[in-house]
Amino acid sequence: MSDSATHHEDGHKSLIIENKKLLMWLFLGSDCMFFGTLISTHLIYRKIYPQEFEPTSLFSLELTSFSTFILLMSSFLMALAVSAMHKGQLKSFRRNTVGVIFFGLIFLGCQVYEFTEFAHLGLTLESGTFGSTFYLMTGTHGVHVAIGVFWLICMLFYSYTGKMDAHESAVDVEVAGLYWHFVDIVWIIIFTVVYLIEFIGKT
Amino acid sequence: MKKITHGFSRLLSLSFALLALVAFGGCDLNTKMSTFDVKGPIAETQLDLFMLTVWVTGFIFLVVGGVYVFAVIKFREKPNDNSPMPSQGHGNPLVEIGLIGASVLLLVIIAVPTLQAIWYTHDTPLNEQSKLGNWYTGDELSEDAEEEVLVIRVIGYQWWWEFEYPQLGINTANEMVIPAGKAVHLELRSVDVIHSFWLPRIAGKVDLIPGRANAMWIQAGDNFERWAEKTGADGSELALQAAYNTYLEEEIHDYYYGQCAEYCGDSHARMLFRATVVGDDEFAEWVKSEAEGHTAPEGKPWDEWYKAYDSNPDSLTGDLNEGAKVFMGRGKCIACHSVEGNPRALGVAGPNLTNVGERLSIAAGWLNHHDEEDVLQADKQYENFVKWIKETDVVKPGNLMWKSNGNGIGELLDPEDPDKIKLLTDEEIHYLALYLQSLK
Amino acid sequence: MSTVTETHEPSTHSKEPHVLKPERSNLGLMRPDHSKSVIIDWLTTVDHKKIGIMYGAIALFFLLVGGLEALIIRTQLAFPENDLISAQRYNQLFTMHGTTMIFLAIMPLNAAFFNFLVPLQIGARDVAFPRINSFSLWAFVAGALVINFGWVLQALEVMGLFSASGPTAGMNDFVPSMGWFGYAPITGKEFTGAGTDFWIMGLQILGVASLSAAMNFVVTIINMRAPGMKMMRMPVFTWMTLVVSLLIVFAFPAITIALAQLMFDRVFGTSFFVTAGGGQPILWQHLFWIFGHPEVYILVLPAMGIVSEVLPTFSKKPLFGYAIVVFSGAVIGFLGFAVWSHHMFTTGLGKVATAAFSLLTMAIAVPTGVKIFNWVGTLWGGRVRFSAPMIFALGFVWMFMMGGFSGIMHSSAPADAQQQDSYFVIAHFHYVAIGGIFLAVVSGIYFWLPKILGKMWKGNLSIWVAVFSTIGLNVTFFPMHFLGLLGMPRRTHTYLEGFGWETYNLVCTIGSYILAFGIFLLVVDIIRCFRSGEPAGDDPWDARTLEWATTSPPQVYNFGRTPIIPARDALWEHKHGPENRRIQYEEDDGHGIHMPSQSWMPMIASLGFVPLGLGLSLMQAGVAFMGYVAIFGLFMIALGVALWAIEGPGGYHLHPEEAK
Repeated sequence: MSDSATHHEDGHKSLIIENKKLLMWLFLGSDCMFFGTLISTHLIYRKIYPQEFEPTSLFSLELTSFSTFILLMSSFLMALAVSAMHKGQLKSFRRNTVGVIFFGLIFLGCQVYEFTEFAHLGLTLESGTFGSTFYLMTGTHGVHVAIGVFWLICMLFYSYTGKMDAHESAVDVEVAGLYWHFVDIVWIIIFTVVYLIEFIGKT
Repeated sequence: MKKITHGFSRLLSLSFALLALVAFGGCDLNTKMSTFDVKGPIAETQLDLFMLTVWVTGFIFLVVGGVYVFAVIKFREKPNDNSPMPSQGHGNPLVEIGLIGASVLLLVIIAVPTLQAIWYTHDTPLNEQSKLGNWYTGDELSEDAEEEVLVIRVIGYQWWWEFEYPQLGINTANEMVIPAGKAVHLELRSVDVIHSFWLPRIAGKVDLIPGRANAMWIQAGDNFERWAEKTGADGSELALQAAYNTYLEEEIHDYYYGQCAEYCGDSHARMLFRATVVGDDEFAEWVKSEAEGHTAPEGKPWDEWYKAYDSNPDSLTGDLNEGAKVFMGRGKCIACHSVEGNPRALGVAGPNLTNVGERLSIAAGWLNHHDEEDVLQADKQYENFVKWIKETDVVKPGNLMWKSNGNGIGELLDPEDPDKIKLLTDEEIHYLALYLQSLK
Repeated sequence: MSTVTETHEPSTHSKEPHVLKPERSNLGLMRPDHSKSVIIDWLTTVDHKKIGIMYGAIALFFLLVGGLEALIIRTQLAFPENDLISAQRYNQLFTMHGTTMIFLAIMPLNAAFFNFLVPLQIGARDVAFPRINSFSLWAFVAGALVINFGWVLQALEVMGLFSASGPTAGMNDFVPSMGWFGYAPITGKEFTGAGTDFWIMGLQILGVASLSAAMNFVVTIINMRAPGMKMMRMPVFTWMTLVVSLLIVFAFPAITIALAQLMFDRVFGTSFFVTAGGGQPILWQHLFWIFGHPEVYILVLPAMGIVSEVLPTFSKKPLFGYAIVVFSGAVIGFLGFAVWSHHMFTTGLGKVATAAFSLLTMAIAVPTGVKIFNWVGTLWGGRVRFSAPMIFALGFVWMFMMGGFSGIMHSSAPADAQQQDSYFVIAHFHYVAIGGIFLAVVSGIYFWLPKILGKMWKGNLSIWVAVFSTIGLNVTFFPMHFLGLLGMPRRTHTYLEGFGWETYNLVCTIGSYILAFGIFLLVVDIIRCFRSGEPAGDDPWDARTLEWATTSPPQVYNFGRTPIIPARDALWEHKHGPENRRIQYEEDDGHGIHMPSQSWMPMIASLGFVPLGLGLSLMQAGVAFMGYVAIFGLFMIALGVALWAIEGPGGYHLHPEEAK
């Protein structure tokens, strides 16, 4: 936003946290409840019907560990991009953002591959509660990643228009970074309680 | 302005007086489904608890409401009031803490009996009198069953009730029969949507949820100990037992009304049921007649009747035989209904019709044919059967007896021209109604 | 840094010195600022006051719609075995009555007050995100359209012009008919038709609207307060807005996910709630009430906020125990998340869970009681004026108390086994909803409409509004306690004679018409005020909070210069307090007042929900090409958001002081 906007919004008080950042934090708080609901639905049905489905026959720990690692690394790059933007290093920002986007796309590719593979092996939306909860949960997460990738692509393009303003854009990138880290953390939780737990005592 | 406010308050108090009149003076609280006119330990516990909440909240209402009204009147702005500003007090922590403490204390008065009641109403008691082996006078039971209380499996359908007695091997619909003074365990199931079993004078409701095994217990009338304790009656064992039996017969034996209390689709309003509370012997008799079922019309054995029906149906004449033919044949009733004794009437999609002619209502309690004393009225019963068969979809919109993938009574095909729909004729319905009336 | 001014508001009433011209946005399009067309101006507005007025007007419209539905319901029930309307129509009416009143009447009425008042009460120019605010409004409108669209189809069906094919073939219920809490599995595709899809999509869109609005208000209240407006100096209404917004942020996701799961069940054959696939219908109840109980407080806390403003004003005393009132509001909000299962006492939760939820429900009565004590404490020793807003606020306290008491009766689980799903419950929540929320909202309307319109009420019609609505409400709902205790279940379209319900039902029906007449008078009074009220002046009630320090109606920029808040009840202290508590104003920095630009984009984005929601629902009813319509809707949303991002916030400056 322009300096007049700064005057309009922040002129007369020292903000602890910028409007946009606070908005994102609230969204993430809300999003916690979204994923909380999805994950608990999954776990509840897992507990009620432990025999309905044997996920270890399906899950490929190697593939999912790889995609989890990729997403973790993308978070690291995201942090670098945010810090670059704060320092006003546009080039470094672009380089890191490209990395995040690339890694995000790899993650999405893994998920698409995983879904088609599972569907071939007989796990579909129609196949009982496991299929329902698994796909809705991981699918919602995938949509989050896709939106994040799209958002970062837009930002990348925007950085070439020359309209990026040091302070305001740094906040914008930071907000996108918050979102990306959150999506990453959610995945780590899903990876743990949906994938890893299934392998306890089974390898 | 003041005058109007005055008029306002007068109008308000007038209307409250009117309301109170309607509430307390004008109407009877001992109605068919009243939660005040309780006949059983569960409903009684629930009523006691309710009345306790009424007294406690009533007390708070009087105190707080009194102070409130007093404050509004006392501190109203007077016309010629030129005194300075009222004191600008911001509150008093001590008052607040005191009031919070008082409210907590009042809530504890409710909380303690609430907890007791939750425990009491939840688990089916296994007392000696309620064990089947100790009171059931009918045929032999399995050993397990002798040590259990009577179990009734209540299954909800859109929009009727199935009552299965697994220990006794019988099955009925919409009108259950239970023994007086005995705990009965209900297993609550549903095959389609959520229903709720509510028999207000005997027990509050519990839901029937598909995919979930719910349970509750009910008891019509007190058992001996509770009764003795409550009445404080004294005397010899024999005299006491006699007095107890009189209590059961005079106060508890009755025809009770219940209804589905959870919205379950189009005809939710027409999903009622009844519970007849009877003595031990009468109960055993009823079970026996349910288990035996019915012979063919005119007392003929069924294999004989079916032989005639299969070879030469025209040889079967008379009202009841005509009705039975519609029941077995064109009406397709046996596709969904069972009648004990009849080897071909084995349908399970609809209510079991054994002794349907004895029931005081049909269509899940919606069409009634009994007088004030709960005596069956045959004319009305005939009318109700005709109405139900003829206008099934009007009496209970959306129900499966009328339309059910081509099997409904509203989808009957013309035997001569299978592409055309031909409903039952008035004549056929007349005979069918007579036949159904004879099932008792 | 600031100057002391004698008048409480720098004189800024003058006309603009020169005509402002709209500028081009980053898209190269002309921004819709300073439009001469009133319609364009209102459609594209980002002014929280105009948005608030639109929320209010639409909500009042839906209040009348929901009221009409209620009247038909009551007329049907006036006599046993009445056949004024069919069972299906009745079920649709009660479903839509509940849905309309909760989501399309009370919530937006509250939103109207949030929008209009909160920035004024905290001395802000606008909300934190004016365009998101506009988005929330139009998304609400989109959701309302989608959820009510079924009526059109149902009318066509009655005329024989439309019937369902495709996934819901043979099921011609196009208006939702499964009750406002839509218990699974009756919402499944075996039991209900496209009406359920309209309901799912409509609620989902309304959820988006509520969430975006709520986040906006949290940011506004935390970040946009004028200097000196510390948290513990905020008006109670603003506090309650904050609590309610946080409740929305954390409670709505539960129903959003539940609705998504239900939609997947209906469209993609999943088994979240379908028993055949192992789904547990009870899960829906948990998810719904995890949202649904906080929702109850989302509805009622703003009402408490309104009353906490009105009572002190007309008692000429500060609110008794401000800190405790605020704190108990927060506690109610917090505990509201821990009592959801008290809606499910009859579902077989088990002893321990039932006991726990029973006790927690009793616990929540304490902070609610505390509020009532504090309101009585506020009156005590004050000077009570019976002006219109006060009459309704006093009525609120009384009626809300009655609703609260039947609430305590429910909290005792075994007693609730008799009350649950009977008319006793109907009586309870209508005492809370009409006796509580509605009376408080009317009190708020009488209190703040002079500020909103700048016009004063004419005459004493308000008395008659109070008389008829209070009598009507009691005559309608008091007998329902007895109906419920005499065994009448709710949601039954008719009943047999001979159960002792006839008299009560007839009385209830008569009462509902009295209540309706009261509401009719309210509408008349509002119209009279709007058309021919005398100028109200800035502070017609000798009020206490900051919104009364500016003009009536407030200028588009709210305050010519930003006020500096010396104390709680800022205006009261300014008028009657010691010298050092005068409201001061920041010095003019010469830049003028920065105003946000108006925009079409939020409206375009949010109205994209209409084709999206209708398309997906109509697809279920088997209408051709609806998939494309849904995709078009999605495209419209994406386009709106993209253009919104690209066009830039813009903004222009006003110089109200120049003309002085």
